[in-house]
Amino acid sequence: MRRFFHFFFKDYLILTFAIGLLVAGAGRSAFAGAGPASGIKEYKQNISTAEYEKRYNAVYGKFTEQMAEQGNPAGFVLDDGRDLFKKVEGSAGKSCASCHGENGEKLEGVAAAYPKYDPAIKGINTVALQINRCRKDHMGAPELKYESYNQVALELYVKSLSNGVPINVSIDGPARPFYEAGEAYYYKRQGQLNMSCAICHVKYAGHMIRANLLSNNRHHADHWPGYRLKWGKTGSLQKRFRGCNKKVRAKPLPFQCETYRDLELYLTYQANGLPVEVPGFRM
Amino acid sequence: MRKGKITALGLALAFLFLFLPAAALAGGNAADGKKVVDTKKLGNCAACHVVPGMEFPGDVGPNLVEAMKNYSEKDRTMLRERIFDERKFNPDTIMPPFGTNKILTSQQIDDVVEYLLSFNNKK
Ligand code: HEC
Ligand code: HEC
Repeated sequence: MRRFFHFFFKDYLILTFAIGLLVAGAGRSAFAGAGPASGIKEYKQNISTAEYEKRYNAVYGKFTEQMAEQGNPAGFVLDDGRDLFKKVEGSAGKSCASCHGENGEKLEGVAAAYPKYDPAIKGINTVALQINRCRKDHMGAPELKYESYNQVALELYVKSLSNGVPINVSIDGPARPFYEAGEAYYYKRQGQLNMSCAICHVKYAGHMIRANLLSNNRHHADHWPGYRLKWGKTGSLQKRFRGCNKKVRAKPLPFQCETYRDLELYLTYQANGLPVEVPGFRM
Repeated sequence: MRKGKITALGLALAFLFLFLPAAALAGGNAADGKKVVDTKKLGNCAACHVVPGMEFPGDVGPNLVEAMKNYSEKDRTMLRERIFDERKFNPDTIMPPFGTNKILTSQQIDDVVEYLLSFNNKK
């Protein structure tokens, strides 16, 4: 039933299916409540995940079948990310692999707990941000420009080391105010069209906006970076934020700014219990 | 002095001839309204509503062909207000405030109203 979210090329198909089956049941029941109250009048999710999946199949099914046959173009980006992980860069003469294992063994499952609060930055740390912090602090290498090919490739590779592992982000303790800030942003009306993220992805999820099926936000953070047909390339979750900002004629924010990191925490928490499945594929 | 008076008179006359006809016709033009409704960068109403002749209408809002059956000439003002700013009728609406946020001009809104009201006369 969860299957249609896997638009992987054949190699990944069997593996992810097996793992998906294993964790799907546990993940579902772990995600019981909607989340903490923060004074915002939350909308009730308009459609169940199962119903959304049914509609998704009806609208995009044929296309994604085709895609599964041809393979996800983001697979090549993932391969490049693996190479970059092993590449020595910077004044310390190290690669990511120098610290994290030749095949990233020490990072297996780690990304499933991201984003997370980090006292060193007194805020929310994301995988993308952490990669750049490692480059700067431990490798003496320049930070990668967000959304550049190499940056996306590395982020994708590091996240793929958690494929199949249930997302498990914490919003307890010091993370709480940042989660609430993310939620506040999600519910804030923005732009000339005066819409919030929540009105489209919670209140009207499952409806059609022209030829687009409005997605249920439970499934937003589990499959990025991914390939998006409309972009013609592989991009991150935060690129998607910017796209939706622009759609309502609001001002998009800079990648990895505090607000987007808080928002990423908020959305990833909605996906708690679902397995990480990168690279994703979307229209 | 005299010259000034004549210019003023001329301007007033010009104003009368140029703008009075437009003012007298105020209300709107249904054909222009259709364009506003169908154009993505303008009304983009089909993103959410069924409107005549659109291939992929959305279903976020009510079907406007059906909804218009409940509207008649006497609802013109209310219809205009809804498009100008639906929040007056539903504070938590998703429908963009086309007038308040200057997404459409006053004239464009009049045109849209004229177009919507024309649905009923067609049949
Ligand atoms: C006008 C309605 C609208 C608003 C407002 C909106 N979105 Fe979207 N969003 C869409 C549509 C349409 C898509 C593409 C289809 C889909 O996946 O829902 C989309 C897709 C997405 C996706 C990718 C979903 C996936 O399955 O991969 C994310 C993430 C997302 N939006 C987040 C946001 C955030 C964050 C905001 C607020 C900053 C926002 N959206 C505001 C309409 C909207
Ligand atoms: C993003 C979605 C959206 C867009 C775009 C939109 N509407 Fe709406 N509209 C709605 C919704 C939802 C309602 C139902 C009432 C409410 O929620 O306030 C509505 C209600 C209406 C109504 C009242 C219908 C009734 O049943 O009495 C009219 C008339 C209307 N819209 C006209 C328009 C026109 C004309 C445009 C374009 C210029 C437009 N709308 C664009 C979402 C939208």
